Amino acid sequence: MNLIIKHSVRFLILGLVQILLLNQLEIGLGIQAMVYPLFILLLPIDLGTIPLLIFAFVLGISIDAISNTFGLHASSLLFFAYCRPLFLKIFSPRDGYENIKEGDSYQMGFLWFLWVYGGLLTLHHFWFFYMEVFRFDEILFVLQKTVLSVPVSFLMAFILQILLVTKPR
Amino acid sequence: MRNLFAFFRRFRVFLIFVILQVIALYSYFSYIAYPKSQFLTTTNSISGSLLSARNNVVKHFNLEANNKALQLENILLRRRLPESFMKIENETFKINDTIYEEQYDYIAGEIVNATLTRKNNYFTINLGSIQGIETQMGVFSDNGIVGRVFYVSEHYALVKSVLSENINIDVVIQPAGIKGILKWDGNNPNVGYISGISNDYKIKNGSQVITGSGSGVFPKGLPVGKVKKIETVEGKPLWDVHIDFSEDYRKLQNIYVVKNRLQKELEKIEFAIPSDEK
Repeated sequence: MNLIIKHSVRFLILGLVQILLLNQLEIGLGIQAMVYPLFILLLPIDLGTIPLLIFAFVLGISIDAISNTFGLHASSLLFFAYCRPLFLKIFSPRDGYENIKEGDSYQMGFLWFLWVYGGLLTLHHFWFFYMEVFRFDEILFVLQKTVLSVPVSFLMAFILQILLVTKPR
Repeated sequence: MRNLFAFFRRFRVFLIFVILQVIALYSYFSYIAYPKSQFLTTTNSISGSLLSARNNVVKHFNLEANNKALQLENILLRRRLPESFMKIENETFKINDTIYEEQYDYIAGEIVNATLTRKNNYFTINLGSIQGIETQMGVFSDNGIVGRVFYVSEHYALVKSVLSENINIDVVIQPAGIKGILKWDGNNPNVGYISGISNDYKIKNGSQVITGSGSGVFPKGLPVGKVKKIETVEGKPLWDVHIDFSEDYRKLQNIYVVKNRLQKELEKIEFAIPSDEK
């Protein structure tokens, strides 16, 4: 029960930050900051991929409904969720995730967070910007947007994570 | 049969991923072409009221600048009133109603939500079918044009802004009166372009670009921007004209929707052109 409330609060906060704050932000150079994938990363590690996909679809569609993207956020977040088990496997610690509930930077360390979340975020952003344009001749512009947006999104997600995740004592 | 079930069980994660992905992408690509329902747009009542609540807070941030802009516009309009002219001759300002028929109506509204970084940017406005808004109506602001109404619900409407790929608004480059079609390259929210202008025209940097009245969406002469630079199209005797928008879409709040009373008549008469000659 406690777990459900905790994740619902994160769902709401990340969704609202994205809709009310980041969607209105116009930095220039095609930079678009997206923090909501953090919700999927912070879901329990032992959660199956199917519930993960369903949560991703629900969060993505809710953001789409308010930012006039008609399904683009849902599509890229699904890709993020689908790749999460793969990344968790590649970067798993030596003795597995036995006593670890969630993949935040307190429990796993900053380096793990950088590789896993940074990697997934790059895939997510590339998928998002590529699907938005959907033309191969603009691939350079897509890459520019991805390369510039990922650090901004990552930094914001890292700050939000400090606010959302309480340090285990 | 058993093999089939075994196959589904084995690849169920991937299948669910593909099914959800297809739903999301299908909805994205079909919405871009033509809107079907208001479920996934900001015109539905839940997201509409959420964004209105946000706008109620945020709109006060720019209150001073907006007031100033409105005041300036008021001064301009007041200057045109018959009362502000000195009467030189008694007959000068007699208005004859049979000569002038009002063609354009304006409905004032506010932008409640806007995106600027997308490939196609949509603005949500707080006017809907109750206020008489219909799709394809033109939207403009004090300083420039904003876009065309794309989808209407009861209380809100979605405007496909000038910052979209296929906006195609007909414009005129002054003072020569060269006609062209306004487009946007999807990158900089301050710069648009007009493509395919024959290169025997002479265009100067800094010339004014205004709306044309060809489609009847906008009244003639609304400001659009200024010519910024002129580029040749490779291998064709054509020019791409880049223009600086006169409106800063990042700060935009107050807008007007144009209602053309003669639009139906215009469409009807143009419909009479045989379809193989269009």
